[in-house]
Amino acid sequence: MTTLTKPEQPSGRRDGAPFLSVRDLSVQFATEDGIVKAVDGLSFDVERGRTLGIVGESGSGKSVTNLAVLGLHNPRNTAITGEIVLNGHELTGAPQRTLEKLRGNTMAMIFQDSLSALSPYYTVGRQIAEPFRKHTGASRKAARERAVEMLRRVGIPQPELRVDDYPHQFSGGMRQRAMIALALVCDPQLLIADEPTTALDVTVQAQILDLLKQLQQETGTAIIFITHDLGVVARICDDVLVMYAGRCVERGTVRDILTTPRHPYAWGLLSSVPRRKAPVDAPLRPIPGTPPSLLKPPTGCPFHPRCEFREYVGDTRCQDERPMLTLDSGRGAACHLPAEQQKSIFAEQIRPLLGRS
Amino acid sequence: MLRFLVRRVLGAIVILLLISAVTYFLFFALPADPAALSCGKNCNPQTLALIRKNLGLDEPVPVQYWQYMIGIFLGRNMTIGHCSAPCFGYSFASQQPVWSTLMNRYPTTVTLAAMGALIFLVIGVGLGLISAARQGTAFDKIASAVSLTGQSVQIYFIGPLAIYLFADTLGWLSRGHDPDWTHDPVGSITGMILPAMVMSVIFWSNYSRQTRSLMVEQLSEDHVRTARAKGMTSRYVFMRYALRGAMGPIITIFGMDLSSVFGGAIITEYTFGLHGLGQLAVSAVTQTDLPLEMGVMLFGAAAIVIANIIVDACYAVIDPRIRLS
Amino acid sequence: MRTRKAHYAAILAVGALALSACSAGGGGGSGTSGNGPTATVQNFGLGTAADSQGPATPVSGAKTGGTVTDLEPTGIDYLDPGQVYVSNELAIAQLYNRSLTGYKIDPKTGKTILVGDLATDTGEPSAGDKTWTYHLKDNLKFQDGTPITSQDIKYGIERLYANFETQGPTYIPTWLDGVNYRNVYSGPYGGKSLPDSAIATPDSKTIIFHFQAPHADAPYAMAMPNVSPIPASKDDKQSYNNHPVSSGPYQIQSYQPGKQLVLTRNKYWDPKTDPIRNAYPDEWNLQLGIANPGLTQRLMAESGTDKDALALSQPADASQMSTLVSGSQYPSRTVSAYQPYVEVINLNANVIKDERVRQAIAYALPLTGIQQAMGGAAQGDLGTNLLSPTIGGFKPFDPYNKLKQPQGDPAKAKQLLQQAGVHNLTLSFAYANTPRWQEVSLIIQKALANAGINVQRIPLDPTSYYTLVGKANNQYAMYRTGWGADWPVGSTVIPPSFDGRTIGDGSPNYSHLNDPYVNSQIDAINKITDVNQADAQWEKLSEYILTHDTTQIPFLYDKFYQVYGDGLGGVTYNQVIGTINPGTVYVK
Repeated sequence: MTTLTKPEQPSGRRDGAPFLSVRDLSVQFATEDGIVKAVDGLSFDVERGRTLGIVGESGSGKSVTNLAVLGLHNPRNTAITGEIVLNGHELTGAPQRTLEKLRGNTMAMIFQDSLSALSPYYTVGRQIAEPFRKHTGASRKAARERAVEMLRRVGIPQPELRVDDYPHQFSGGMRQRAMIALALVCDPQLLIADEPTTALDVTVQAQILDLLKQLQQETGTAIIFITHDLGVVARICDDVLVMYAGRCVERGTVRDILTTPRHPYAWGLLSSVPRRKAPVDAPLRPIPGTPPSLLKPPTGCPFHPRCEFREYVGDTRCQDERPMLTLDSGRGAACHLPAEQQKSIFAEQIRPLLGRS
Repeated sequence: MLRFLVRRVLGAIVILLLISAVTYFLFFALPADPAALSCGKNCNPQTLALIRKNLGLDEPVPVQYWQYMIGIFLGRNMTIGHCSAPCFGYSFASQQPVWSTLMNRYPTTVTLAAMGALIFLVIGVGLGLISAARQGTAFDKIASAVSLTGQSVQIYFIGPLAIYLFADTLGWLSRGHDPDWTHDPVGSITGMILPAMVMSVIFWSNYSRQTRSLMVEQLSEDHVRTARAKGMTSRYVFMRYALRGAMGPIITIFGMDLSSVFGGAIITEYTFGLHGLGQLAVSAVTQTDLPLEMGVMLFGAAAIVIANIIVDACYAVIDPRIRLS
Repeated sequence: MRTRKAHYAAILAVGALALSACSAGGGGGSGTSGNGPTATVQNFGLGTAADSQGPATPVSGAKTGGTVTDLEPTGIDYLDPGQVYVSNELAIAQLYNRSLTGYKIDPKTGKTILVGDLATDTGEPSAGDKTWTYHLKDNLKFQDGTPITSQDIKYGIERLYANFETQGPTYIPTWLDGVNYRNVYSGPYGGKSLPDSAIATPDSKTIIFHFQAPHADAPYAMAMPNVSPIPASKDDKQSYNNHPVSSGPYQIQSYQPGKQLVLTRNKYWDPKTDPIRNAYPDEWNLQLGIANPGLTQRLMAESGTDKDALALSQPADASQMSTLVSGSQYPSRTVSAYQPYVEVINLNANVIKDERVRQAIAYALPLTGIQQAMGGAAQGDLGTNLLSPTIGGFKPFDPYNKLKQPQGDPAKAKQLLQQAGVHNLTLSFAYANTPRWQEVSLIIQKALANAGINVQRIPLDPTSYYTLVGKANNQYAMYRTGWGADWPVGSTVIPPSFDGRTIGDGSPNYSHLNDPYVNSQIDAINKITDVNQADAQWEKLSEYILTHDTTQIPFLYDKFYQVYGDGLGGVTYNQVIGTINPGTVYVK
């Protein structure tokens, strides 16, 4: 039987109330096969002007968390508990009308696959102008001008012409920029970017990341950046949250996570990423096994079936007891390994594999 | 757009030529001898030969076909008299010119098909939309049960039932009569309500199921989610984004169903004693009336081909990806 | 182009239902049992000059006025009197077309006699029945008011020689100029007339036919619709078919081929000249292409104007028959009468050469089984004679004991086969591939198996059926056909069906009998000048053919069974043409 953990403590590293505060969030889907616990007891904060990276494998609950923040889940089969507080407003259980006023306005989202995420039936300009008209009550003409301006801001050449193009007439990178323009059209204070650069080639990816950073500097937007690419994390994030099986397994600053990760899952993530500085013959070490079924998550530590270091803990503790995430100045990992041992294993066994000094 | 149309029209002509040739030559593959059928009671080989000559059946089949095709474009002289273009010949059975018969009959079929299609699209798509918006509710379940029932009924079964109930017993609706748009436009509509409703039953259930599942699929599309993430209202997203995406497939299904609509019209016309192309097709086949068979076949095929071009054009209007590529 | 499956399926489904064609054989259903002819056999004979005088005997209780609706299952292929032959056309032609003679059905006695229609009597024979003279009545006029003359009737006959006139009966031209009459004369369009040696019109009211041989039944041939006046000035050959000029009580008001024919009164028709037609209604509205079972259901429901509706020639649909027979509301408005058709199984003389084998089959056939499959007693009574009860001289005749053993006599059949020295016989049975005939074929297969005969069932495409069995060299052993008499004399049944000299593709000698004795008897009886005597001889010859040659086995006398709207009276049945008699109908 799993030992229940107490809710994690929020980071209190910065002054002032966080712009978004998520507490003990759980998201469960009813499916034909049973209840899927997509997110289980997750807590985090995001502040204005900062970027939180959420990393993890597919199905770890990254996207679900953020859809829940926006209230885009299907209410018929989804149960959400916990608190989502945006700028002091409680969002869980808020009526759709309230959420509709916030979505695209105060909080906006950039989706991963811009080809499917943009409607093929309307022009790019119309799709960008639509939320602007709704939220600001602008005229059709003003909204169109705003769309042109947004396209220019995200670096689309000849925006006056391209505004009347359909998404399929844009290249992949341009479409992603248009997607960003769409998300930013109402100057949102919270921007959730769900793998916005995954499908793009490296040059375009870099441009998009620079663009986001630049926009954040201009407007002070809080950004949640969902990705499984640690390289991207290193470029853009201030803080990082590592998710596994719907839970947070490690938290810290981007420097913490990339240089001294503590959780074996984070080690696995790091060693499975090729590094620019690594010798070409350095082996890639994918994490053994597959992500667990969320219909029936493993007992104890959800990572234990794939963990190479459970024998360091001893007994069957990893199988039986769920490790708690205890934070110290926003830093912590949910692992039964003692902190010292975490440091030494990383230093002795993992770092050399990463090919770093 | 122009190139698209030109390409489609050329393709249609080729298809119609193929259909005409296949119909013509298949007809002669049958052992039925239309001359013998016209020969009647006091038939003898002399009369048979004369009838064969009168019907133009004494020529080799390819020659007959060639003359037939030439006649369509240029007209031709036949034993019965000159037949001006478009000449589809004279009916073997009734000696009436096929073209004027077709012109006389098509309003019934077109009215029936159009009204039937209107009814099944409005009811079917409407039910599907409501079901999709209210997935899992009692309405959804009842609607899908009704759809299943509707799909398994047959026109020739519910037709007489509907006549008995609505026309003979309750007297709410006319039994159905041929439209006469020039003299009686209102009666043309009221006279076709019952047949069109009966014909639509076998279709609307299909459309409600298709619409429902298309809408459910569309509602889970990424771009629909994006629209919601932009803060658009549920109704706006449902109608402007999800329905817009479902419309293309619905129109495609409709285009494919056009020939089934024609088939439904045949049985409906037969059941209601209406005089349309369907009824004409039945009598042409049962009387091995080649000119009439050819006429109905080509007319029906041309109508379906043209309707399909229109449907494709509509599709292009709905989906910009097709329009411009 | 996309799939057209539904389209085809529909055609096939409906096609199978729709096949009733022009001759006998629609309708059906289970009814009360009945063996042997039970419907009234009517008296047939020639009426006198007094009988030929108009006006027609009033129908008691009849009123003038109103509109009668007639429902027809198909379009009317021919309105041109020269082309009219099939029963629905025959019935409708009665309304706008008058021949030299016609059948008068007295609504009081039900008796059917032949009387002069345009003519003052049924004809004066001379030169040993080779010459027939007719005098026209006074005050006969076309619908435009021009008088009807004997030249108009001669012109009507001349038209029958034209190449396009292929549908109507050919008795008169054949009797005048032989079977190849078209080689002798090619119609009036070249400006030439038939010579006086063929048809003479000494004055505008007299017409004299000079036949090549004696024809005692000429008065009956003169009742065919193609012995009628056609005004040469209005004749535009084939196109005349759409607008024939009326000589009868009604004229064509509007005609939409295949849809509707409206007939209104011909004001120039003088009832005092017409002994046959009462013509009570002011208007006839013929609705065409009303398919069964809808047609029968409309007559049963009789809603709205259908209260004054009838079906002149279409029997009730088989699917409605049990309701009709059992429903108490129907008998008062039902017609049940013999049609002039006999249903037979042909035993192809080219394939089954031994008459003892053919007789064995005659014994083995299960008549009641076939009758049930055909729709029961309302559809037809068990038939045992090659002539129908509607033929003059008909006598009940049952050489194979079919009425006593309607299930067949396999023992007797086996015995005959043994005598013939036939073992392990396999014969083919060809049938139109419709549900009804599939069932009949199985019944026959089973019954003949009991007699030791294997039956190989051969389904034929229904639309091709008559073409295939009509081939002179067809190799099927057994197949069904039906034949209707043109008038109530055996001369319109026996010669076409059994004269061996007429065998050819499409010829109605379907069983391919070529018996020199039968051929010579046909010639002999054709020479008999007394119709009653000829009637008796035809009956005798038919009995000879059935007992000695046995190439056709009768099994059903077709009956006409149909309801009509309550609003109609005077609905009588014309057994000669096999339709409701339109002349006596009135709207209550």
